[in-house]
Amino acid sequence: MTEVPWEKIHQPGAGAPKKRAGMVVDLRRCIGCHACSVSCKTEHEVALGSFRTRVRYLEEPEGNQIRFLPLLCMQCEDAPCLDACPTGAIARHADGHVDIDRDRCCGNKACVAACPYQAIFIDEGGLADKCDFCTHRTEVGLDPACAAACPTDAIRYGDLGDADDPVAQYVQKHAATAFKPEAGTRPSVVYVGLEDWMTDAARTGIQVSSDDDEIVYETR
Amino acid sequence: MGLASGALAVPVFERMRGDAPHATFKLRSGRIDYTRAKAIPTVCFGCTTACGVIGWVQDGRVRRIEGNPLEPNSRGKICAKANGMIAYTYYPERLLYPLQRVGERGSGQWKRISWDVALDEIASRLRKVRESGHPERFIFHYGRDKTKGFSSRFTNAFGTPNRLNRRSICSSNRRVPLMSFYGREFEWETQDFANTKYIVNFGANPMEAYQGGLFMMQRIQDARVDHGAKMVTFEVRPSATASVSDEFHTVMPGSDGAVAAGIAHVILRDGLEDETFWNRWVNVPLDPIRERFAQYTPEWAEAESGVPAEAIERIAKGFAAAAPYCTTMSNRGSAKHYNGVQADRIIRMLDPLVGNVGKPGGFCLSSLRMWAGRYGQEGLPKISQPQPRPPKLEPWLPGTPKFESLPAEVQERVKGFPEEWQKKYFGELATPSEYPLSWHWYNMRVGQLVQDYIKKGRADVEVYMSYTYGAAYGYPEAKLVREVFRDESLIPFHVAIDIGYGEQTALADMILPEATSLERWDAHSQNAYNLRPYTAIRQPLVDPPGEARPLQIILRDLARRIGGGMEQYFDFEDVEDFYREWYKDVPMSWEELKRRGVWTDPDRPLDYELYERPVPESELANSVTDRETGIIYADSSRKKAIGIMQDGKAVRGFDTPTRKVQVYDDILQRAARAVGIPEDDPLADPLPIFHGIPGFDELTDDQFILTTFKWNVHTQGRSGHLKYQAEIVHTNPLFMHPDTGSQLGIEDGDEVEVTTFRPKGRTYRAGETEPVGSFRNRVRFLRGIHRRVVTSSHHVGHWEHGAVGRSSTDKADADFPGTDAQAAGLEDADIPNRIWWSKERGGSGGGVHINDALPINPAPLVGGQNWYDNVCRVRKV
Repeated sequence: MTEVPWEKIHQPGAGAPKKRAGMVVDLRRCIGCHACSVSCKTEHEVALGSFRTRVRYLEEPEGNQIRFLPLLCMQCEDAPCLDACPTGAIARHADGHVDIDRDRCCGNKACVAACPYQAIFIDEGGLADKCDFCTHRTEVGLDPACAAACPTDAIRYGDLGDADDPVAQYVQKHAATAFKPEAGTRPSVVYVGLEDWMTDAARTGIQVSSDDDEIVYETR
Repeated sequence: MGLASGALAVPVFERMRGDAPHATFKLRSGRIDYTRAKAIPTVCFGCTTACGVIGWVQDGRVRRIEGNPLEPNSRGKICAKANGMIAYTYYPERLLYPLQRVGERGSGQWKRISWDVALDEIASRLRKVRESGHPERFIFHYGRDKTKGFSSRFTNAFGTPNRLNRRSICSSNRRVPLMSFYGREFEWETQDFANTKYIVNFGANPMEAYQGGLFMMQRIQDARVDHGAKMVTFEVRPSATASVSDEFHTVMPGSDGAVAAGIAHVILRDGLEDETFWNRWVNVPLDPIRERFAQYTPEWAEAESGVPAEAIERIAKGFAAAAPYCTTMSNRGSAKHYNGVQADRIIRMLDPLVGNVGKPGGFCLSSLRMWAGRYGQEGLPKISQPQPRPPKLEPWLPGTPKFESLPAEVQERVKGFPEEWQKKYFGELATPSEYPLSWHWYNMRVGQLVQDYIKKGRADVEVYMSYTYGAAYGYPEAKLVREVFRDESLIPFHVAIDIGYGEQTALADMILPEATSLERWDAHSQNAYNLRPYTAIRQPLVDPPGEARPLQIILRDLARRIGGGMEQYFDFEDVEDFYREWYKDVPMSWEELKRRGVWTDPDRPLDYELYERPVPESELANSVTDRETGIIYADSSRKKAIGIMQDGKAVRGFDTPTRKVQVYDDILQRAARAVGIPEDDPLADPLPIFHGIPGFDELTDDQFILTTFKWNVHTQGRSGHLKYQAEIVHTNPLFMHPDTGSQLGIEDGDEVEVTTFRPKGRTYRAGETEPVGSFRNRVRFLRGIHRRVVTSSHHVGHWEHGAVGRSSTDKADADFPGTDAQAAGLEDADIPNRIWWSKERGGSGGGVHINDALPINPAPLVGGQNWYDNVCRVRKV
């Protein structure tokens, strides 16, 4: 009989550190369901109006379908936010992801401005916040909330620094690419099925309502 | 970039790979500590799909919902709605105390009362109703009841047949063809998406909202992306499903059947059918089918639907070439139309035509519901409610006092029914005589006519108990629902059981606060898309706050107070004991079942080709076989068919009267005859046939079809108050093709007025010329929408359901006695002040309520609401 998996997660080795934590987002699999973004908000109790993870709806420039683009902190190897922070509050975790030390953050928004992905926001307490790959989950052997929820396995979390890791292999096999590669930040979140037009379209997307383009969650 | 440029110019510290272990960081407050939190499995209530989930509980609070990887249907995955259960449970405006109305009904004035006072009052009224000899004057009407028979235990014990539902609002037009083709036990198909190569989808939207959607979406995407399966979708708008499909064709509403007929034509014309399967397992020869479908050429189908004939040819050949690894799917897009039943019968016919039924990768059927050893459930443990159970109710046969009290025209109609139908008749609310197919297989009712019938005096009401019921907001012509509920002469007493204060509870005389799905027990089993039956349990993760109580306790305590024998069916103190008894035959200890949340037999063969399975020797002992048809009956009474002889072997066949797939079914003809519809009307045709929507062929240039749809983050009208769902979708613009806008002189973002009209044909108030209603909304252009269609979601525009539901930072009445967020620990810093889309904050507000303008439009014979036949005019404001 299968063991109960949730009782296994705290056991030794369950949250073994990764060489380079990363994600692959396969846009061919994404159905725009928002399981990732709502899971993220619940997990981190993110205040209304702020988002660590978003799903953009993009209308195809030609054709009649909608495409979906989940966006989150890209955990860049060459992270502009890290360089921009004057107080040293942004640092790199042992597994390579970029984290914000809330004790050292002064809320001056330099990181917000520096990030080419609009992944950082100032939270209700005036401090910078963003996706941290759910460190408190990965440390005990759980996948980040978004990847754990994703019903179509469009978001996969793994070790891009380990050639034997299934996610690293997925990235290789499907030639995953960076979003906005021109930013030159070498993201640890990479995409399969990304097309050139999406970068521009993602600046506007299809908001549910046209009269609040400036405030709907997709553009915040 | 102003702020950043200075910082970028002088890097003040080095990148610190490996230097800063997270443990030294100050954790963000509110984070879940998984080393302390406890994982408890249960069953989701976010929608009707009911996935197995686990809830992480920390410090007595559910903090996170995750998939239960042991549950074989959802396989450890969840959707956006699952975590909404947390928002639902910890909603600051949640109902916590029983309430009694003090002002006019609907005036919103309440006083808090004790449970004893509330239950005594309700029980005393109910006892009077029960002792009056008219127990049917007690109505229990639910929007979503996942108690798997607990509530019917109460209504049966009471003696009322009027446990009403919302099946007609949902899926009855689709279920009738399924039940006609495959039999009662398969009211819901389970295509083998994991192994399929070709999916032809007529207007189903499993990627956003569909019973079983989460089970389907993951298997479809695996099949498409990993195994190269192709999915073709016919839809009126670019739904998420249409958008991820490999091929998407925009179709005219109500033309799905024409497309399917064109596909069937090509298959038959080119000899691509599986004649062996058809001749063995279909109840009608191919010749009459060939004859009928000769007229449905791809060119004809193109003219009806707008789908190019070339595409229909190609799809038909691709579908047939992939057989048996191919399947159809359909849902509201094809079925929620005047012609939906026949359209779905054409679609359903495509599967036996290519012989994919029950085959790997094909159109499969899997055992559902609580197991009782019925078809497909052989060898499974029985899951049946504890004894004693209340007796079945007596039907309203001619000659009984109940029957004699019916209006004369109803009596006459019912007297004309075949005897077997008369034995299923329980009055006009439970079994409306004009819609015999709404209750022929099982009780689907015609929910959208209930208030109309009450208004017209077709049924008398003393006590109306509404449970998770949102008709006052969500039903078509919801204004009629509100009108009837406001009229105390029609509904003398309305008690609402719910979690939140919504549009329906606002019209109650008494409100009882219920426990949420995270706080209560339920039994659960349903169809499995992995084709191996399983059962799961919903169990309480935490105690309800305030004085909220689970439904089982509410009904138990009412039964005890009503007495008169009812109490004997509710002889339990601890609800858990009742469910332990319910699950006693499952071969797993109760504690282990609670620990895992799920039981399944991993060695059980998958539900492929159930119809070819042999009838067990034990059942053949007293059986009788009909020489002509080969149908095997359980005994000489010939009442119950158990199988069919095929090539000298006794096999199960399908669970239909003929034990075959009933592509031919005279039930439609008989039903039409019984209600006075001419037998030459296509509605009555025993063979699948295409017929158009009455009036669609006469649309003028300024008339459009208004359709509605569901967003992936919302569940009908019951999620508007969930903060994270509402944050994503809180408006419902009117989507339209840019060309339609040009035609009307409308630009993207303009405000328009939409006016709706009555449908034509044999339906409710057909042909009346007065508009049904109108609403104003903003236009959003989207290519991919049919040029004759305008479409808007129907979830939003609430005027109750608290601050989030109303999209307002205007705090609800602070004196409202139904809740006390502070005392119950339900305060939420987000609510109301951070509702950034509220009008008070300069946002767009909460969308437009459109359901008053959608006409009541039950499909003839069946009663399923034809949601997508709404003719409208659109004008720029």
